[in-house]
Amino acid sequence: MDNFMHMNNTAISIDNITLKLSGREILKQLKFDIRANEHWAIIGPNGAGKSSLVKIIAGMIPQTDGVVRVNNKPVKHYSSRNRASLIAYVPQKPENAIPYTVNDYVMLGRFCRMSMLGIPDKHDQSVVDDALDICDVYKLKDRYVHSLSGGELQRVLLAGAVAQESPILLLDEPTTYLDPAHDKLFFNALDRLNARAALTVVMVTHDINSAIYRCSHVAVIRDGALYYTGKSSEFRTRCPEMLTEIFSIKFRRYRCVNDGFDVFGSWEE
Amino acid sequence: MKHRILIVAGITVVAVMSIILCPFFGIHTFSLESIFKDENIRYIFTQIRIPRTLVAMCAGGALAVCGMVYQALFRNPLADPYTLGVSSGASLGAAVCIYTGVGGVVLGLPIVIAGAFTGALVSVLLIYVFAWSRDSNSSTLLLAGVIVATLCSGLIMFIHFISGVHQSFQIVRWIMGSVDSMNYQMLGIIGIPVFIFMIVAIPVMTQLDHFLTGDSIAHSRGVNIQKSRILFITVTALIIGVIVAICGPIGFVGILGPHACRMILPGVKHKMLAYTSFLTGGTFLVITDTLARSITPPTEIPVGIITSIIGGPFFLVLLYKRRKKLMV
Repeated sequence: MDNFMHMNNTAISIDNITLKLSGREILKQLKFDIRANEHWAIIGPNGAGKSSLVKIIAGMIPQTDGVVRVNNKPVKHYSSRNRASLIAYVPQKPENAIPYTVNDYVMLGRFCRMSMLGIPDKHDQSVVDDALDICDVYKLKDRYVHSLSGGELQRVLLAGAVAQESPILLLDEPTTYLDPAHDKLFFNALDRLNARAALTVVMVTHDINSAIYRCSHVAVIRDGALYYTGKSSEFRTRCPEMLTEIFSIKFRRYRCVNDGFDVFGSWEE
Repeated sequence: MKHRILIVAGITVVAVMSIILCPFFGIHTFSLESIFKDENIRYIFTQIRIPRTLVAMCAGGALAVCGMVYQALFRNPLADPYTLGVSSGASLGAAVCIYTGVGGVVLGLPIVIAGAFTGALVSVLLIYVFAWSRDSNSSTLLLAGVIVATLCSGLIMFIHFISGVHQSFQIVRWIMGSVDSMNYQMLGIIGIPVFIFMIVAIPVMTQLDHFLTGDSIAHSRGVNIQKSRILFITVTALIIGVIVAICGPIGFVGILGPHACRMILPGVKHKMLAYTSFLTGGTFLVITDTLARSITPPTEIPVGIITSIIGGPFFLVLLYKRRKKLMV
């Protein structure tokens, strides 16, 4: 199958997605396109439906109405393995303690590239070594995943997704629980990865500044509806006013004294 | 890695030794010489003790592998044929047959066995309803299993209450579980499905490795969660149905086998775990069955009692020595 995507081709098309759960509308007719190699940040208040959207793109939960197309084909029409070879996913944290070594865990990412028997060959191991290396966790390879610190764990989860060699990467608040240093290490790994082979990234985040400066585009979801989509540089020009509208608290612009770099926040004296 | 190969080889050797040595022990202990000389002893050895030992190996091994499959599918260290309600369903089926006193033979099997098998399948069907529903996850499935088990236990109590002393005793005796009075026909009925199950299931057990990483990660890796969950549940239900129908609900093997292996082989993946759990569970049942027929001559203790009495404390000791949460 041809996984190669050309610049400016639509990688993910979100077409009138509606999600209802027990009568409540979680997502209301979302519609926007994500082109290949773009990096999208999805931001918005808690409970706005951001994670649900990512899970619908990943084919994890079914939408009530509408269709998500990946490479012009509805996600649901892919077999599980073909879908995995196109879309990788990194959760906020694992649902439970993972009892394998880091190397074994990352090797699981090769599932969609192996036969049903799942016997890794030399090529699989070299892809895994490479993924470990790029995420800066090679030295942890023989440690158990459940024994890692939060920062190490997130990079190992990323390495597992990297080993899938999928051109689309979905990140669901990947650094929410990390300290600033590990947050930076995570994004450094992502940068190295992207420098090697351009990826399409969709990231749910609560870090406004990370969304503006690390991503090329921003989508804002508020009360289940699409509130804004556009380039992050344009979004920045409309801040902090727009942030104030989105989160219903007063946002301000802060300028770094040395280089005139702007960040946004809601701190008060 | 070398260390691990040695452990696996050790488990294999112990299993083979238990199959070779255990038939010599029982109410009477036979010497190799007496087997060649005495025709009666030879008959007991070849026609009773050997098939019985092999049935114990197959049943114990398969229960351990099924326990392992459930623990991975439900990401719960306590999952085993009991927790899913399969054993209880089988017991209820057997109890109904004993109470109503329907005699006779179906497909060459005593009707109690057919009843137990039906009970096992019905309880699995109930679990199925949950497995198919859209919002099913591992905890709702497990909860459904616990409810089915409790419901069946309640109904069995009711049958005890309304039945006579004799029937009640028969039911209790069946529920204790046993591998006595086995022959080569029984070995075929258990052994052939177990053999096919192991050959077919072990290669696809990589999928179980994914289940332990959580549903969302497993899904994103390309595992069709619902499909493989249903596939594994169906196959294990059939196997457990056969075993429980013939041996009764033998407890603890499904938990002890895989957990003992996880403790001595930390981080082991499911293909190797299935192989070692089979041998460990099988060896455990072979040895406990040998004890069951040896320690109180001339009577035999139902093996289910021994597996619980030995298995429980043994498990607690293992758990105490390694309190790390390696599983789940």
